[in-house]
Parts: sequence; C-alpha cells; structure tokens
Amino acid sequence: MYLAEPLNYLSHIHHLPIAELEVGKHFYWQIGNLKLHGQVFLTSWFVIGVLIIAAFLASRRSDRIPSGIQNFMEYALEFIRDLARGQIGEKEYRPWVPFVGTLFLFIFVSNWSGALVPWKLVEIPGGELAAPTSDINTTVALALLTSLAYFYAGFRKKGLGYFGNYVQPVPFMLPFKIIEDFTKPLSLSFRLFGNILADELVVAVLVLLVPLFVPLPVMALGLFTSAIQALIFATLAAAYIGEAMEDHGEGHEEH
Amino acid sequence: MFHSLILLVAEAATESGGGLFDLDATLPLMAIQFLILVAVLNALFYKPLGKVLDDRDAYIRGTQAEAKERLMKAQELARQFERELADTRREAQTTIATAQAEAEKISAEKVAAAQQEAQTQREQVQAELDQQKAEAMQSLEQQVDALSQQILQKLLGGVSLG
Repeated sequence: MYLAEPLNYLSHIHHLPIAELEVGKHFYWQIGNLKLHGQVFLTSWFVIGVLIIAAFLASRRSDRIPSGIQNFMEYALEFIRDLARGQIGEKEYRPWVPFVGTLFLFIFVSNWSGALVPWKLVEIPGGELAAPTSDINTTVALALLTSLAYFYAGFRKKGLGYFGNYVQPVPFMLPFKIIEDFTKPLSLSFRLFGNILADELVVAVLVLLVPLFVPLPVMALGLFTSAIQALIFATLAAAYIGEAMEDHGEGHEEH
Repeated sequence: MFHSLILLVAEAATESGGGLFDLDATLPLMAIQFLILVAVLNALFYKPLGKVLDDRDAYIRGTQAEAKERLMKAQELARQFERELADTRREAQTTIATAQAEAEKISAEKVAAAQQEAQTQREQVQAELDQQKAEAMQSLEQQVDALSQQILQKLLGGVSLG
C-alpha cells in the first residue's frame, strides 16, 4: 500500500515529529556579530554538568577503601592513566593525564548522550539537539587543542630542538612531517565528526523507515562505535603528545 | 524511496543556510570551554582522586614491605626456636644418659657392697659354726673317755660279781 503511494507516505512521515531528519540546521545564537550554534552549547553544558557532578560526587569524600561512585570514577581514572602511560611513557605522562582524560571523558559522555538521551524530543527553535561531537565545530576545536598540546609538549621538552623531529629518521621525511601536522587535526576532527554524525543519521533514517525495534541493533552498534571513537581520539592525542616528546636524537648519538 | 530521502536530506542541508561544515565562533568558544573543563576536572577529579590512588599505592607498598619484613622475622624466630629446641633435646638426652650411667654405677656399687657384706656374714657364720663344731667335737672326745670308762666298769663289774 505504501509502495503504491510513496510520495504520500513520505510527506506523511515528514510531518511526524519523531521521524524528522534535520541535518545542517542550527539553532543560532547571536553575540555581537558572532554566530554560535546554540544546540551544541546546550548539550555540551549538559555533558560538562554530568562530568562535573560525577567528579564532585566521586571526590567529595575520598576513602582509602573506595565505594560506589568513587570506585567507579577511580576505575575511570586508572583507565585514563593507563592510556596516557601507555602512549606517553612512564616518565612524562602525569602532567598530561588531565588533558587526555578530559578529552576521553568529554567525547565519551558526549557520544553516549547523543545515543542515550532522547535529545530530539526537546523542542528548540531551529535545528535539533544532538551530541556535541556531531557538530564539526566541537571536533575541530578538540583536534586543534590536541595539535597545540603536542606542539607545546614538544617545545617545552626540547625547546627549538623540537624541529629536529622533522628530520629525524632521514631529512627526506621533512615534507611528510610537515604535512602530518595538518593531517593530524584534520583526520582527528573528521573521524570523530563523521562517525558520530553518521551514527545519528543512520539511526534517524532507520527510525524514519521502520520506526520500531529494527533500529535497535544499529543503536547498539552506535553505542559501541561511540565508545571506540572516544578511545581512539584520546589514544591518538596521547600518542601525538608522546611522539612530540620522544627523544630519539640524543639517544642514538650517545651510542 | 531512498532517492527521495537523500533529496530530503540534501534539501534540508541547503535550505538552512548553515550546512554540515558551518564553522563559526562556536569553535573557539568550545575550545575555551573545554580548557575550562580540563582545569575544573583537574582540581575536582584528577588531583584528589589521583592523590587517593597514589596514597593507596604507597600504603599498599609500605604495608607489603612491612609484612614481608615481619614474615622474615617470624621465620628467623621459628628457625631460632627450632635450633634451641634441638639443643635442648640434645642436652636433655645427655643429662638422661649421664643420670642413667650414674644410677647404674651407684646400683652396681651398692650391689657389690651388699654382696660383699653377705659374703663376710656368711664367712663369719661359717667360722662360728666351725668353731662350735670343733668345740662340740672336743667336748665329745672328752666325754668319750669318761663314757667308755663307765661302760668298761659296768661290763667288768658285772663279771666280777657274777
């Protein structure tokens, strides 16, 4: 019956509030002559609120024998520490734990909020609420911060000797290393943005086509990829920072 | 159907004016917001909980070292105890042995003394008996003369009368 009148069907579901697809529409805020994506900030504030409340509850009363949320957040912290230690190395990882850890937690909670919180049911004028990481601004911001972080790490550790990294194994690598500085933030931001947006779109399209039960496996897959994306972003950021601080030059010369 | 869907998506993207790759002031503000979140979480989460983790590690390491030390001390004490026990056992054995030897010596001496005494007493008694026998014999010999005189007289007297 539907196949007989596809256009009618489409126009019909187009008016259902749940099954609406809105891509690239934004809820603009105007500050001075700056334009902001309001929906991104609203959901990111929710994410930040969740993180801060969890952190506060976990460290409010810290015991030697942990229990409840303290136990859970300690598990998260140990996970983050292991990640940073594995990528940056035992000697240098400690000052980078907050940055790498916050990258992981922020992206992870953002992605899962997009998958678990029914944002789309909240009516806002223009656009719709979604995971903050499904907006390119967020992911580019995080990726550029990561770039700044690894430059900072490199210069802080080696001073101008950091440029030695560019000709490290062989001078012939110089152009590739320079290109890498641009591709790193690009790939970081687009990987995260593309994955999260694609997840949400696939779920939205499936909901639009078959509203009940069929999208559930894809949603579960979305949860999985969301978690993996957070892990990948944080791991790569830590790896870049570790790479910038790695001293291969002096070590070889001494031998 | 899919065609129309894709069209629908594309339409939505173009008509809004924003689009997917709409970079604006959200980017720097988001970066600043994220850095603030890093600072807040550092003060609220990483530092205190990290301190708890490190303190616990140090506590566990310290306690473990202490326990190891105590275990070694206990093992040392156990060995010392064993040694002392063995020494004491040996000592007790030697004491028992000497006591037994002494007791045997004493008993042998006593037995020997008793035997000697018994011997002397027996000899004494024997000597007495011999003496008495000799005396008895002597008195008997004396009486033999008298008696034989009497018997002779009796026999002879009868004949003379008769």
